[in-house]
Amino acid sequence: MDLLPTEEQQQIIDTAASFLANEFPVKQLLSLTRGEPRITRNHLKQIADLGWIGIGLPGDFDDVGYGLPEEALLFVELGRNLMPPSLLGSVLGARIAAISGGSEQLRSILEGTTKVAVATARATCSVQIGDSVDGEFLVFEAEDADFVLISDEHAAALLPLTAMQCTSTDNCIDDTLGLSCWLASASPARCFVPAGKDRIFLRGALLVSAMLLGMAEATLDRSVGYAKEREQFGKPIGSFQAIKHYCAEMAIRCESVRALLHHASITVQTQSDAGLFDTYSLKALAIKAAQSNANAAVQIHGGMGYTQEMDIHLFVKRAQVLGTLFGNERFHLKKLLSERAPD
Amino acid sequence: MNLDFTPEQMQFRERVRDWLESNKPTRPRPADGAEGREFDLAWQKTLYAGGWAGINWPTDYGGQGFDTFQQLIFLMEYAKSRAPGDWYRFNGLNLAGPTIIACGDEEQKSTHLPPILKGEVIWCQGFSEPSAGSDLASLKTRAVIDGDDMVVTGSKIWTSWARFADWQQLLVRTDPDAPKHAGISWVINRMDNPGMEIRPIKDMAGGSDLHEVFYDEVRIPLKNIVGGINNGWRVSMAQLSFERGTAFMPSQIETQKTIEDLIELARNTALEDGRFAIDDDHIAYELAKLRAETRSLLAMTLMGISRNERTGIPGPEGSMLKLFQSELYKRITALALEIVGPDRASLSSPTGRWPQAFLGSFANTLGGGTSEVMRNIIGERYLGLPK
Repeated sequence: MDLLPTEEQQQIIDTAASFLANEFPVKQLLSLTRGEPRITRNHLKQIADLGWIGIGLPGDFDDVGYGLPEEALLFVELGRNLMPPSLLGSVLGARIAAISGGSEQLRSILEGTTKVAVATARATCSVQIGDSVDGEFLVFEAEDADFVLISDEHAAALLPLTAMQCTSTDNCIDDTLGLSCWLASASPARCFVPAGKDRIFLRGALLVSAMLLGMAEATLDRSVGYAKEREQFGKPIGSFQAIKHYCAEMAIRCESVRALLHHASITVQTQSDAGLFDTYSLKALAIKAAQSNANAAVQIHGGMGYTQEMDIHLFVKRAQVLGTLFGNERFHLKKLLSERAPD
Repeated sequence: MNLDFTPEQMQFRERVRDWLESNKPTRPRPADGAEGREFDLAWQKTLYAGGWAGINWPTDYGGQGFDTFQQLIFLMEYAKSRAPGDWYRFNGLNLAGPTIIACGDEEQKSTHLPPILKGEVIWCQGFSEPSAGSDLASLKTRAVIDGDDMVVTGSKIWTSWARFADWQQLLVRTDPDAPKHAGISWVINRMDNPGMEIRPIKDMAGGSDLHEVFYDEVRIPLKNIVGGINNGWRVSMAQLSFERGTAFMPSQIETQKTIEDLIELARNTALEDGRFAIDDDHIAYELAKLRAETRSLLAMTLMGISRNERTGIPGPEGSMLKLFQSELYKRITALALEIVGPDRASLSSPTGRWPQAFLGSFANTLGGGTSEVMRNIIGERYLGLPK
């Protein structure tokens, strides 16, 4: 039993962290104009060349021997750097293509020449996912996407964007992401995987949780750093219990989600009975951690935290966006309560 | 990252499980203090005879010298078997014993360690004072050296089980002029020493396990100082070196049982409107949140143990787990009252355990360091924020 990353897993984390810090620092987002994608086609190819998109694919498609734990650790780092959710689309899209025998789609997604956007169903519509798809969806980063990943707990599908109809272009709460509304009516899916074959939706929930954890850790680090430097009343504000205790609570939220992420990535990977129970718990707590930590970070940074001159607001907004993907807090808590407790 | 146990560890688990199944007491622990003492000592004797006494003590001192994973497995199986809790045995086995092993001299070790393991003595703790709670190092109970003795005058408070204990680990001020952490000594005191007076304190949950202890020129031999005079602050931290992060396993399992019991209760309890409590959106949402947090408590415990195993040093997880678990438990018992409904007013109804647990839960965020002190520790020692 060991719930910490192995040396090899730590290497994956360190490599990803330093690559992202150099190539995609969060501050880039501050100078992005609305509608301009952060990850261009060239960027996606550059990321694909690192082998990240196929990192967790089953052994038949990839012989490195990595799985969900490594994929999850990578997504923590992607979340920490506010990398866009379409990377989740690529990773899960590759998996859908691999499992459903879509070898052409698999190759182009792994090469980074095909972009997969992620979507979430509108609350009021009914959704059918199978060979063809029905429903109305909010799609993030549809601008230059080829496919949209549509999933719920029963199935997951890759839908060509051209098979859907755009009903409106919206302003996203997180203006570093494009947002538009798309209608699918009996739209034929290119690839389709029922949950009985592979739980894509559950995997998505786990990987979004990993991104949310990265964000929760990032806002904790920024807050602690600021609380050590910023002085008022002749002292660093971190010496005041009001601020210190905010930070302590943020740290506990990180620790609890981090531990549960590691645990869940193992129980899901090994198909243990606890996999569902762990993932439902994880997603609910990860949403809360990312949102509460980001919100607290604004308060700790004071007036500057409210401005767009600092990057804190980006975490507040992104945490709201990611909270809607692969099941919101209420969905996961409902599912959790209906599960049997693992031994 | 893995959750696997080796075949040897699995065999060990079987051995623990079998032994507990056939040896754990069949009757519940008596509520009465004196009877509780006899019950605890008898159970410790059984553990000793079976080769399970002092699981984290080195074999040189009669312990079992189990590695971290054996300790973890033992504690998991122990909690699952519903064998009796540590109760009066807690101080000797987990605090005083380990401190004497780490800092005591040969005579102190040979005198005091075997009786703890064999179930012959009960220990208690004299640390807090009426005016030294969270600020423990400001303690004032004075020890004046007089020949081969020290003469102790002052008072201690929150001493659990004092009137049923034989020995006490006591912190006294031996140098009033030194900086506050530097003038303290850790001493072994007999509870039947002349000049002592013990006053039970009734707590809000109806128990009287807590005490105030008064010292009026109580003579304690200097040879009872452990780890050197004026060195008591460091000595009192020594038991931490025994900590492998496994100490939280029992309370984690206990919390898990509690939330599962509560979910079961909600499935079977009707609300005023005739629906079962679990069908109420608010209650269902809160129950599920608590269940998720309880699950993360298990993962946090395992990650803490893993970190300890890598570094050999207790990390921040101790304070985090303490804070997280105690606050979580408090919220579980508060939600229980909403589910129980009007019956919350009754301590003797079939659901009386829940209002009783609610009252008792307040102790968890106070004893062993308040939640506020825990947040200070996390902020300062883990996050590096200034004092």
